[in-house]
Amino acid sequence: MKTLFQTILRFAPVLLLLLAGGVMTARAQGPKLQMDQLDLLANKASETVDVKLDERLMATTARFFPSKDDADIKEVLKGIKGIYVKSFTFEKEGEYSQLEVDSVLSQLRGSTWSKVVSVKSKGGDNVQVYLNMVGDQITGLAVLSMEPKEFTVVNIVGPIDLQKLSKLEGQFGVPDLGIEADKTKKK
Amino acid sequence: MKMKITIAGLVIALLLSAAPSIRVLASGDGFNDTVKIIEQFYHVKHQSIPLLARAGMKAARTAARIKGGEYKRLAEAGSVRVAFFEDQNFNSRGQIAAFKRSMQTTLEGEWSPLVQTLAPKDEEQTYIYIRDAGSKFHVLVVTIERHEATVVQATLAPDVLAQLMKDPSDMGKALTEDATINDH
Repeated sequence: MKTLFQTILRFAPVLLLLLAGGVMTARAQGPKLQMDQLDLLANKASETVDVKLDERLMATTARFFPSKDDADIKEVLKGIKGIYVKSFTFEKEGEYSQLEVDSVLSQLRGSTWSKVVSVKSKGGDNVQVYLNMVGDQITGLAVLSMEPKEFTVVNIVGPIDLQKLSKLEGQFGVPDLGIEADKTKKK
Repeated sequence: MKMKITIAGLVIALLLSAAPSIRVLASGDGFNDTVKIIEQFYHVKHQSIPLLARAGMKAARTAARIKGGEYKRLAEAGSVRVAFFEDQNFNSRGQIAAFKRSMQTTLEGEWSPLVQTLAPKDEEQTYIYIRDAGSKFHVLVVTIERHEATVVQATLAPDVLAQLMKDPSDMGKALTEDATINDH
């Protein structure tokens, strides 16, 4: 009996994450990803940033960029229904696991998602960009940036492409991902 | 066999409910509910601020700094509420995610989370929540550091909110500073 308890206790977090991942996969049929399961990483991370600009907020505020300087940004934000960012920075390497990464990746295996960019560096950085398409229309974008000490997920809902994404970098909570639209290779 | 399954179920149920979580019976007043969550989770007590009445006037100044005077008012005078926790110990005991969850549970529905930043090692946290207020927005900003915390609720015009949203991480700092720092 003791062995049973120990086994359950040892694997319970893993089972729960797998269970959550399954539920997420079932739910994430649209362009919006479920990312709340990553919140537990906040206990291990040295810094966590969580940004949620939802549809209502985007619709209300997008009208209020009156100056010429804002014309570009107004155009980029047109039709965007949400910007969601979760970023975790760790002091040491290996503090987030493939399980956490898979809880997001599993949602991107649906038929509407396709990987358009994958960049790996020798230093262990790995950036993947996915687009959600319905017919010819882009309905969402997801970026996973996996570095040895940093894990970032960006999910933008609405008509967004890589060029628009590069204009959003550094603004509206979207981190500087170093994605250059014209230099990335499709995979 | 049935016994084993029952025990396993119990253990999983316990694990699910084991994460410490403070639940405040939401009163619908996000400001007061937030102050209560902080008090219950950290076992601290907020202080009344004599400059509360003045805070609204103070908060009106950030806009000029943000946009070279283009935006005259960050918040309407008198619409700012401030609660301050000073010289107290904010130790989340490794459960900073549980505190974040408590905030979310209490405020969800009426308030939308905009930005949340956590740095457990330094016990630093910032939360910004937004709520519709007719033609304007209520913004609730919570900043917690190792020995002090501030809760600010302000009313913003949509154009000011739009400008602040460009750099949401800086929004909390700007609002909190203006509502609390006495530069006289």
